[in-house]
Amino acid sequence: MNEISLMIAIPLIGAIITFFTRSRAQARMVALIASIIPLLISLQMYMGFDKTSMKMQFLESYTWVPSLGIKYTVGVDGIGLPLVVLSTIVSVLVIIYSWGEDKKPNQFFALLLLNEVGVLGVFTALDFFLFYIFWEIVLIPMFFLIGVWGGPRKDYAAIKFFIYTHVASLVMLLAIFALYFTYRMPDGSRTFDMLTLLAATADQTIFPTSLLNIIFAGLLLGFLVKMPAFPFHTWLPDAHVEAPTAGSVVLAALLLKMGGYGLFRVILPILPHVDKIFVTVIAIIAVISIIYGAFLALAQKDIKKLVAYSSISHMGFVTLGAVAFTWMSIQGAMFQQFSHGIITCALFMSAGTIQHTVGTRVIAELGGLADRMPRFAFLMLAAFMASLGLPGMSGFVAEFLVLAGSYATLPVYTLIVIFTSVAITAGYHLWATQKVLFGPILQKHLDVHDAHGYELFSMSMIILLSLLFGIRPSLITDIMGVAANQVMQPVVTLAQMGVI
Amino acid sequence: MADLGYMAPMGAEILLSALAVLILLIGLFIRNSSLMGYLSLAGIVAALGMVLSSITSPTVTLLFDTLSVDSLSQFFKATFLVVSLLVVVASFSRYKDSPGGMEFYALLLLATVGMMVVSSAIDLITLFVGFELASLSTYALAAFDKSRRNLEAAMKYFLFGSVSSAFMLFGFSLLYGMAGTTSIPKIATFAMADFGPATLVAVIFVIAGFAFKMALVPFHMWAPDTYEGAPALVSAMLAAGSKKMGFAAAFRVLFVALLALRTDWYIAFAILAAVTMTLGNVVAIWQNNVRRILAYSSIAQAGYIAITFVVVGAAADLPNSAYVAQTGIAGGLLLILGHALMKTGAFIATAVVAYMVLKDNKEGKDNPDDISNYAGLARRAPITAFCMLIFMFALAGIPPTAGYVGKFVLFGSAINAGLVWLAVLAILNSALSLYYYLRIIGYMYLKEPTGAKIAEPRGYAAALILTLIGVVGIGVFPQTFIDYAMQAAAVLLPH
Repeated sequence: MNEISLMIAIPLIGAIITFFTRSRAQARMVALIASIIPLLISLQMYMGFDKTSMKMQFLESYTWVPSLGIKYTVGVDGIGLPLVVLSTIVSVLVIIYSWGEDKKPNQFFALLLLNEVGVLGVFTALDFFLFYIFWEIVLIPMFFLIGVWGGPRKDYAAIKFFIYTHVASLVMLLAIFALYFTYRMPDGSRTFDMLTLLAATADQTIFPTSLLNIIFAGLLLGFLVKMPAFPFHTWLPDAHVEAPTAGSVVLAALLLKMGGYGLFRVILPILPHVDKIFVTVIAIIAVISIIYGAFLALAQKDIKKLVAYSSISHMGFVTLGAVAFTWMSIQGAMFQQFSHGIITCALFMSAGTIQHTVGTRVIAELGGLADRMPRFAFLMLAAFMASLGLPGMSGFVAEFLVLAGSYATLPVYTLIVIFTSVAITAGYHLWATQKVLFGPILQKHLDVHDAHGYELFSMSMIILLSLLFGIRPSLITDIMGVAANQVMQPVVTLAQMGVI
Repeated sequence: MADLGYMAPMGAEILLSALAVLILLIGLFIRNSSLMGYLSLAGIVAALGMVLSSITSPTVTLLFDTLSVDSLSQFFKATFLVVSLLVVVASFSRYKDSPGGMEFYALLLLATVGMMVVSSAIDLITLFVGFELASLSTYALAAFDKSRRNLEAAMKYFLFGSVSSAFMLFGFSLLYGMAGTTSIPKIATFAMADFGPATLVAVIFVIAGFAFKMALVPFHMWAPDTYEGAPALVSAMLAAGSKKMGFAAAFRVLFVALLALRTDWYIAFAILAAVTMTLGNVVAIWQNNVRRILAYSSIAQAGYIAITFVVVGAAADLPNSAYVAQTGIAGGLLLILGHALMKTGAFIATAVVAYMVLKDNKEGKDNPDDISNYAGLARRAPITAFCMLIFMFALAGIPPTAGYVGKFVLFGSAINAGLVWLAVLAILNSALSLYYYLRIIGYMYLKEPTGAKIAEPRGYAAALILTLIGVVGIGVFPQTFIDYAMQAAAVLLPH
C-alpha cells in the first residue's frame, strides 16, 4: 500500500473507530489523529513530488474487475496534488474548529472523516468507475451533516442537495458509459482508465464530433452542478444555510472543488475536440456566475447566505480561467480553487462563530461586535479582506492571474467581469464587515464573549496560509504551471483549429 | 439404490423436499418450533453448499430432458436459497413460540424447492409444476398469521396467482399444439411463425402469465396489497424469491424456446419495462406505508430487470450480438441477485419495526408499517436502522453496493445495445426513486424517536447483518459474481 491508498484508508478506519467511541473527548481525539496522519502524508508527497514532470506520480494500480476493465488506479499530478494538500489541511482545521461539538459528537466527527475519504478519492482516482464511486460517496456524509446537525429546514435542504447533485452525477455516468462503450483498447478489451479514454477522444475516427458533443455536454453538466455554476446553483444556498458550520466549510472548501477538478481533469482535455459553441456557452456561464453571484451576495440579509453566494461568484473565476485556455488563466483557475478553498473556510467559520456566540446571523441585527470580540473581529476582517482580493493574500494572486490570462482569448468577457464584479465584490465584503463588526455595539449584544480558542486557532491558521500563498504563490503555482502546460499540450493545435 | 446416483445433481432439491416432509412428520410428535428452524437452517445450508459446489460444472440434463442443471439454474437456485436462508434466520425471532411453526418451515422449504425446480426446468410441464408448487406454498404462507389483513392479502394473491397460472398454461397449451412438444429446446427448432396469428396469441398469454409473477405493470395490482398484508417475512420471500422465479421461467422460455419470435415480444417488453419502472417509482413517492413503498419499489426494480428482455431482443441485430446479449442477461442476473438480497433485508427490517410497535402497544398498532413508526429508528434500533440505510442506498443504486453493480452492468449493456432512451429513462427513474428512499432514511435518522430503545431480537439482527455483508460484499468485490452471471448467461445463448 502506497502513500495515496494509505491516505484514503486512514480516515476511513478512523471514521469507523470514531463512530464507536463513547465520549466526545475520545471521538475528537481519534478524529484529529486520523486527519493529521493524512496531512503529514500529503505534505510528504508535496516534498517528494517532482515539480517538473507532467507524469502521474505516486501511481498505484491493481486489477479490480478485470472482465469489465475496471482497475483500482490512483495517482496525482499537478492537477490533483494541490487539491489533495488542500483537502488534508481543511479536514484537520475543520475538526479543530468543531472541537466543541456536543450533539452526537462520535457520528459528527466520523462523518467529517468519511467526507475526507470521498474527497481524497475523487482527487486521486484515475479510473472512471472508482472516480464515480468516490464522487457518490461524498454525498452521503454531507446528507447526514446537513440533515442531522442542520438548521430548521434541514430535511428539505438535505434531500434537495442529495437529489440535485445525484441527478447530475447520473448524467455524468451516462456520458462515462458512452466513452466506455465507444472506445476499445488495441487488444479489443474495454477500459475505464481515465487518461486512456480522455486521450482517445482526440481521435475523430473513434469519437466523431457529433457523439463527442453529447458526451461532453453530459460530463460538463455533472461538473457544473457541483461547482455550482449558474443556472445550476440553486441547491447551494439551501444546503449552506441549513448545514452546520463544519458542513458548510467542507461543502464550500472541498465539495465545490470536485467540480473544478473535473473541469481540469476531464473537460479541458476534450474541449479542443468539440464544437466551439461550447467555449462560448461555458464562458457565458462563468461570467454570469461571477456577476450574478456577486449581486445576490450583495442582496442577502443573512451573513452565511452572503458567503454562500460569494462562493458561486468566486467559483465562476475557476470556470472562466479554465475555458479561457491560456497557460496563465488555467494556472490562475487552479490557484483560485486552492485559494478559495482556504479562504472560504474562514468565511464560513466567521458566520458559524457569529451564529453561536450572538445567536443570529441576520446582518441587520448585528453591529459593533469588534467591541466585545476583538480577536475574532480581527480574524474575520482579515478573512473578508482575503476574500475580496486584497493584494498580499492568495485571493488577489489567483483572480489576477485569471483575469490577466483570460484577457488574451476572451477579452470582452474579461472586461465585463472587471468592470462589474470587482467593485460589487469589494462592496458586499466591506458592507458586511462594516455592519457586523463596527459601529456602536447593540444593547442586546453587550454580554457577548470572544470566540473559543480552538475556533480562533483554526481561523488564524487559515489567514496565515492565505498570507503565505499570497506572498509566495510559487510554493504551489510551480506545480500548477506544469499542470497547466500538461492540460494545454494539444492547445497549439487548438488555436490553429480556430476553436478559440 | 446405486442406480439413483444419476440424480445427484438434483441433490439439493431432494434434500429439501425430504426435509419438508420430515419436519411435518416430526411435528406430529414434537411441538418445538426452534428445532424445526434449526433443521431447516441446516438443510438450506447443506443445499446451498451443494448448489455452489456445482455452479461452474458442465450442463447435465436429467429425467428425460425435463431438467437441466447448469450455471444458470445454479445461479438462480443460489439466489433462492440465500433468500430462504435469511428468512429462516429471521424466523427464529418471529416464530419461536408460536404454534404451527413446523408448517411455516415446511411450506418455506417446499416453496424454495418449487422455485429451484423452475430454475432448472427445460420442459413446459415441469416448469409449470414447479411454478405451482412454489405458488401454492406461498399462498398458504401469505395467510400464515391469520389476521384479517393476512387473509385479504392471501386471497388477493391467490386469485391473481391462479388466473395468471391459467393464462400461462393456456399459452403453453397453444405452444404444445403448434410445436407438438413441451421441451423448451425442441420448441426453439420449430418454425413457429408459420402458424400466423396463433403464435402471437400464445406469446401474449405466456408473457401475461409471467408478467403477473414478475409484477410488471399492468399485471402488478396484487403486489402492493399482498406485500403489505402478508407477514413481513413472507413478503420478503415473495418479493425476493417468488418474483425472481417469474424471471427464471421467462428467461428460459423467451430466450430459448421463443427466440425466433423476438420481434413479437421485445417491443412489448420495452414498453412494459418503461411503464413499469416509471409507474412504480411515481406511485411509491405518494405512499406512507413503508411496506407499500417497498412493494412499489420492487415493481420499479422489476421494470429495470425487464430491460434484460429488451437488450436480448435488440441485440440480435447487432454485429456483436452474443456479447451484448450475454452482458444484458448477466446484468439482469446481477440485479436479480442484488435485489433479492436488498429486498429481503428491507422486509426483515420492517418486521423488526412491527415487533417494536407491538411492544410499544400504543395507538397505530393497526398499522405497524406506517412511516411515522420509523421516526428516530436510528436510536431505537440502531442495527436495524443502519442495515435499512444501506439497503435503501443500495436500492437507489448508490455505489459501492450490489444494487449499483447490477444497474451498472445492465444499464451499460442497454447503452451498448443502442437502447439509449431506455437507459436514460432507467437512470432518471433511479434518481426519482432516491426521493422515497431518502424519505425513509430521513425518518430513521433525521427525526426524533417516539419511544425508548429496544433490544433487537437476535434472529432478525443476524439476518440483517448477513444481508448487509452480502449487499456490500457484492458491491466491493463484484468480479466473482460477474463471472458467475456471465457464465450463467452463456447457457441461454445459442451455441
